[in-house]
Amino acid sequence: MNPGDLIGRVNRDVERSLLRARNGLRYVRGSHRPTLGTTPKDVVWRGGRAELWRYRTRPPARVRYGPPVVIVHSLVSRSYILDLRPGNSTVEFLVDAGLDVFMLDWGVPDERDADNTLETYVDGYLPRALAAVRRETGRPDVTLAGYCLGGVIAALYAAGHEEANVRNLVLMATPIDFGAMGPMVAALREGRLNASDLVDETGNVPPDVLYSGFFMLAPTTEIAQKATLLEHLWNDEFVEGFQAMAQWTRDHVPFPGAALRQVVELLVRDNALVSGSLRLGDRSVHLGRARGDVLVAMAERDTVVPAAATELALDLVGDPERRHALRLPGGHVTFGAGKSARRHTMPRLAEWITTHSDQDPETKEQGWTSAASSLPIAPPSSGSSRPSPTRIAPS
Amino acid sequence: MSGPLWLAVVHKVERAIGEPVETAVHSDTYFDAVAEAMRLRRRAIGAVEGVSRRCLHLLNLPAGTDLRRVREQLSRIERRLIELEDERA
Repeated sequence: MNPGDLIGRVNRDVERSLLRARNGLRYVRGSHRPTLGTTPKDVVWRGGRAELWRYRTRPPARVRYGPPVVIVHSLVSRSYILDLRPGNSTVEFLVDAGLDVFMLDWGVPDERDADNTLETYVDGYLPRALAAVRRETGRPDVTLAGYCLGGVIAALYAAGHEEANVRNLVLMATPIDFGAMGPMVAALREGRLNASDLVDETGNVPPDVLYSGFFMLAPTTEIAQKATLLEHLWNDEFVEGFQAMAQWTRDHVPFPGAALRQVVELLVRDNALVSGSLRLGDRSVHLGRARGDVLVAMAERDTVVPAAATELALDLVGDPERRHALRLPGGHVTFGAGKSARRHTMPRLAEWITTHSDQDPETKEQGWTSAASSLPIAPPSSGSSRPSPTRIAPS
Repeated sequence: MSGPLWLAVVHKVERAIGEPVETAVHSDTYFDAVAEAMRLRRRAIGAVEGVSRRCLHLLNLPAGTDLRRVREQLSRIERRLIELEDERA
């Protein structure tokens, strides 16, 4: 090594040490936390704690494809995993790809939601939210994309509603075979844990119980993660990404008790979805009746919803001729964040959706205006409201 | 993953400790303990709430559990209204 290289290396090490010290202090103090879920959006519908958001297109990008994409989020986690940070956001990627993106966020359930069952979501909230999407966009059909348990809700809706005009159904890390899920689900299946053990005085499963369940999948990995953070502490980008992921990992929402009881009885103990149908309300929903093209997306190293639990959807959901598989590297969060998400998930998802959509180069510019200009303001009705569009500041 | 030696050592040690820990926390004994802990927690919270409820009721004040119940009932009414609205539509 020549003296020039040596000096350069020393300079770099000193610089990194200073940055490490600065970022370390910031990290310990908890300041400079990254803002999450920053893609600009408007609230276009509210029902109970649930909200439907429409993401704004950033000029010069514009909506070039239809139908609109409605993402149905899971019931156990925060939806900002799909819109984590600028440059690391599935939502932002889809918007920039020319899609009109909506997110159905379930909010934070409380004791008022303790009685919510799967029917509440499949037959109640989701059809109303989709009616709002139709009003907003003027399009009768949608691309429905469900993440995790949101995928189960989306599939049941697409299969169980005659009037569902689902052009494409995207199932991301969606559990179908609950026999292939992790140890906590196995404990519920074997009766070692009961739904009533997990529900608190509000009638819901508290978020800390859900966090513990996920944490216990690999309780010591945090040590390795913190060591990796220490090594990259000089790198602002890495630290921000780490903080964002760490925040999401700990940030769960209560799970409605009635829905949990139903999930445990029907999905876990009876493993009913494996048979291709589920008793919902007073009818049987047959997953094979879902119309449109179906994309089953699964991550190879997903420990929360292993690929083995998801891939059965390829045999059961929708028309056999119209089923497509997308196998991705990465884990459960590869659908929302991380290097693997940017490199594989986002482009491949966007490509599949756009190739299964209509390209609308110019005509829809006027018809697909922002919520603020297209939504007539109506007085809110109980439970299913059309709010005046609310601009959401980055959280 | 390329990186300094110390990081590789930490990752190796983490796995060496992590694997037996994961086996332990995925065992039946662990889940039995979790279920028991959850039951105890609920019983403890119930006992504390019972005492505070009786104290507040003595003063003719509503307790948190009363408010919770009212909110639950309101929510049921809200849901029923939505169903009626749907039927009408």
